[in-house]
Amino acid sequence: MKKWALAATGLLALALGACANGASDPAAENTDDLLDSDWKTIAAEAEGQEVNMYMWGGNENINRYLDDWVAPRLQEEYDVDLQRVPVNDAQDFINQLVDEKSAGKKKGSIDIIWINGENFKAAKDNELLWGDFAGKLPNFNEYINPDALEVAEDFGEPVEGLEAPWGKAQFVFVHDEKKVAEPPKSMEELAEWVKENPGQFTYPALPDFTGSAFIRHVLYETTGGYEQYQQPAADIEDLEQRLAPMWQYLNEIEPYLWRKGETYPESLAKLDQLYANGEVSMTMSYDPALAASEVMKGRFPESTKTFLLKGGTLANTHFLSIPFNSSDKAGALVAINEMLSPEAQTAKLSPENWGDLSALDFEKLSAEQQKAMNEVDFGPATLPLEELEGNRLPELSSDYIEVIEKGWMENVAKD
Amino acid sequence: MKRQRLLANTFLFIFLLMFIVLPFVPLVLSSFSYNWKWPNVLPEIFSLSAWKYVLFDNSGTWQAIGTSLLIAFIVTAINIILAVPAANALVRYPLKGRWLFEAIIFAPIVIPAFVAVLGIHLTFLRFGLTETIFGVVLAHLSPTLPYVVRAAMTSYNTLSIDWEDQARMLGAGPLSRFYHVVLPHLLPGIAAGASLSILISLSQYLITFIIGSGQVMTLPILLFPFISGGDPAIASAYSLVFAGMAVAALLILDLALKRYYKKKQAAASKGVRE
Repeated sequence: MKKWALAATGLLALALGACANGASDPAAENTDDLLDSDWKTIAAEAEGQEVNMYMWGGNENINRYLDDWVAPRLQEEYDVDLQRVPVNDAQDFINQLVDEKSAGKKKGSIDIIWINGENFKAAKDNELLWGDFAGKLPNFNEYINPDALEVAEDFGEPVEGLEAPWGKAQFVFVHDEKKVAEPPKSMEELAEWVKENPGQFTYPALPDFTGSAFIRHVLYETTGGYEQYQQPAADIEDLEQRLAPMWQYLNEIEPYLWRKGETYPESLAKLDQLYANGEVSMTMSYDPALAASEVMKGRFPESTKTFLLKGGTLANTHFLSIPFNSSDKAGALVAINEMLSPEAQTAKLSPENWGDLSALDFEKLSAEQQKAMNEVDFGPATLPLEELEGNRLPELSSDYIEVIEKGWMENVAKD
Repeated sequence: MKRQRLLANTFLFIFLLMFIVLPFVPLVLSSFSYNWKWPNVLPEIFSLSAWKYVLFDNSGTWQAIGTSLLIAFIVTAINIILAVPAANALVRYPLKGRWLFEAIIFAPIVIPAFVAVLGIHLTFLRFGLTETIFGVVLAHLSPTLPYVVRAAMTSYNTLSIDWEDQARMLGAGPLSRFYHVVLPHLLPGIAAGASLSILISLSQYLITFIIGSGQVMTLPILLFPFISGGDPAIASAYSLVFAGMAVAALLILDLALKRYYKKKQAAASKGVRE
């Protein structure tokens, strides 16, 4: 009886496998001419396709923006059915694509992925992305400057059209106006403020994404600017010595941090909680409108404001891309193009929907479109777009980030 | 004696309340809350928005519940079919190297399932089993089968071969011996194993995600991104839906079992009267 059951399952598995393989081969071939066809052909082919978009699914606002704003429009105007697939971490679908690549799966179900930074580098290095598609998108050509550094490079990695920018983020500090009347404008001033107000400041422990970004600001300001780090980390011979002032700075403020620096909040979410509870007077965010949306929700106090450093703060761009084995590439192109439209970007900008900065070049928009974007109400906690725009610093490439995260453990966290 | 029992009952009641009912209270409160901050013992603002998102908006909850239950019941059915003969062999035949077979069957309890699943994923990809419910069912077998085998083995340990010999002497064939003698004895064990199998299958996230590749949407797949750093109100609402689903699945199993016993009892009393 046992043997029978085993044999039956095995046979079924084989039969199913054979069916699936047989069905997948013919359809995979014709998609690569797509990059040579014109937009009309692409739009015609996209009709009726189901596009699966794999993305982090832990934010209700973002989910709603896609499900209730983007998806119905795509369905109505282009007959493209956008299905959002929630994922816990972008790393998950990168791993899945690596496996599909090595198993030779030609007709995958992932059509659009939301990535940047390390994940983009991993995808590019493993050749998981389809190709130079960004230049195919009418909205990309019309509203985006492909030579702008923040579009041409993703954390120092050349983009080469493999992904199209979806939105931008910029680092801001968040403070409670009632407790911090004059927010510090540089790392030096921050250190002074921290010493005068012990226990009121801390940052998330590395490798938290935002904590790591905070330390990159310390790096830029204490070691003489970002320009020197625009080359691969391996090319700088005295890197360790160059990083020394940063560790010195961090150790100097440590005794004056929250709980005397004996421990650090393990994530930004925890730091935000400390701020919401009034235990610390500052927090930070890589999303300039997030504080406003937390105020709107009532989580952060009404007196919450954000500020930048005089020397500027880090900014990055997040992108949409198409995997090598997507089954519905035409549909994916149409969907990404639609998400880059001024209307979709303006809706995305509004903190009611999401509050994510537009990926479009403001100068290239018509007067009317500019007006629509300017009219988006960010609430009093968010800085004006021009001020953010004028104070952006480029990100470090991921090889530095590894060195810094390791160094922080050894130099700051240990003692 | 009576007082002692009363004391034991009270103690049990308090224990149940503390460890099972009490943890649900903050979960319920949180699911109806809007921005519940730390020093407040109770949420200041109540809101239905989390529940609205989970149950009525385009969040796909109902379909995910259906898929979860479908997978759990198929997995459990296959488990029972595999576990009963396996337990029979392991308990009753003087097998050489029996410990080895047992070790293989129980290995998934010790080795984390996702370690094996990472390897299985490549093979399943080649067979085209990823992204299918069938593939996910096969993958769920490995962490659940050991528990069902274990439970069936315990039942077999207390079932003497003499019972079946007796039935055989009375002229019962192998099928009717199994149905009338073995099965009734195994049933409580199988029910215990099946409950575990259902619960474990329902709560798989990583295995489902890797093999289902985001195309097989079970409830944990929807729930996880909210737990790890998402909206606590929605995560609480999803957790409650999940608990409700698990309890409902067990109730269905329990009802089926009770019906079986009732029928059995009816048949037995009829037999006596005749």
